[in-house]
Amino acid sequence: MTDSQHDKLKLQGLQVELAQLRAALRAVEAPAPNEAALRAQFREAVRRKAIEEAMVSRGGGSWRLPLAAAATVVLAIGVAIGALVLRVERPVPEPLAATSPEAASVAVGAFQPLSSAPRLSPSSSYSVVRVRIPLSAFAVVPGTVQDGTIEADLLVGEDGLARGIRFDEADAALVSVAAQSRQ
Amino acid sequence: MARMAQSDEEDRVDARLLAEIAAGSEQAFVELYRRRHNDIYRFAVAMARSRSFAQDVVQEVFLNVLENAGRFDRAKGSARAWLCGCARHLTLDRLRLERRWTDELPADDSAQDGDERLFADQRIERLQAALARLPVEYREALVLVDLQELGYAEAAVVLDCPIGTVRSRLHRGRLALAAMFEERAPCAERADVGAPLQAREVCP
Repeated sequence: MTDSQHDKLKLQGLQVELAQLRAALRAVEAPAPNEAALRAQFREAVRRKAIEEAMVSRGGGSWRLPLAAAATVVLAIGVAIGALVLRVERPVPEPLAATSPEAASVAVGAFQPLSSAPRLSPSSSYSVVRVRIPLSAFAVVPGTVQDGTIEADLLVGEDGLARGIRFDEADAALVSVAAQSRQ
Repeated sequence: MARMAQSDEEDRVDARLLAEIAAGSEQAFVELYRRRHNDIYRFAVAMARSRSFAQDVVQEVFLNVLENAGRFDRAKGSARAWLCGCARHLTLDRLRLERRWTDELPADDSAQDGDERLFADQRIERLQAALARLPVEYREALVLVDLQELGYAEAAVVLDCPIGTVRSRLHRGRLALAAMFEERAPCAERADVGAPLQAREVCP
């Protein structure tokens, strides 16, 4: 008997055995599904997917986060200026060159607490963040202040909220002018 | 012909369920699970010879369905083939993880921890044990075509290879399986295997 004939016979015998294994395997059943667990699994997957998609879309629009941060900073500055204006008594508007030294001394050097923020506490830690703000952000009526930007330091708490603001000397004068133009 | 039509209809239903799952239907997920979990379980049992292993594979396949149902493309193959493909990948990953590859197994049947006795019939059990020792590329082809009764084309989709490769793996796998099955046959049984064996093998 040749090898190929031998193989053929072996394969025929194997087919019979495989048919029996196939039939036996058909009788093997997985444990009955737990429908409540399946549904819970489905809901969990849907929830997870929704979170992932939300994160991806947030990551995809990567310009949105800086924009939102910038908007928040501008808003915080606006509030700070509002607080500054209310505190600084300035009966007569003066030109830039004649800016009141008292007004400047309020904002220069020390941080000015923001009225809407919680009180500063010596036991808490804060970060100082330098920001650049367009002067136009301080004006209610466009064109009442000159173009350009100023730099300021924000005192930011551990919760990410701004607590205080500090201007450079020259910038404080500009801000005072801008603030007066709102009145 | 009737069986083909039935299979086509079944595939249409499976494909519809997958589309509904992708759209967020919980009921479709439960229904697909009910329809197909046994197929996946049997595939994994046949591949790994372990019920607990198979249960884990079923679980992972349906997690994969939840994540990727939207990626199923009926133009590339049937839903059953897609599910079998998922089961195959997960099975191979787990086998790799558990170092249960054939060539790493001890020669002695009884030495394998975690193996279970799945069938009462000793011959069937022995064939299953021999199958579990085949090189994995032969084993998966045999399980899909000879045990799961997939067509060559469907098996080619699952195995991600040409049909010719499926045929050659099947041929070599069957020959290897027959040889292993005979080798492990008790002497009393060997006389029943076939005439050529009686002529070639002499029991002590």
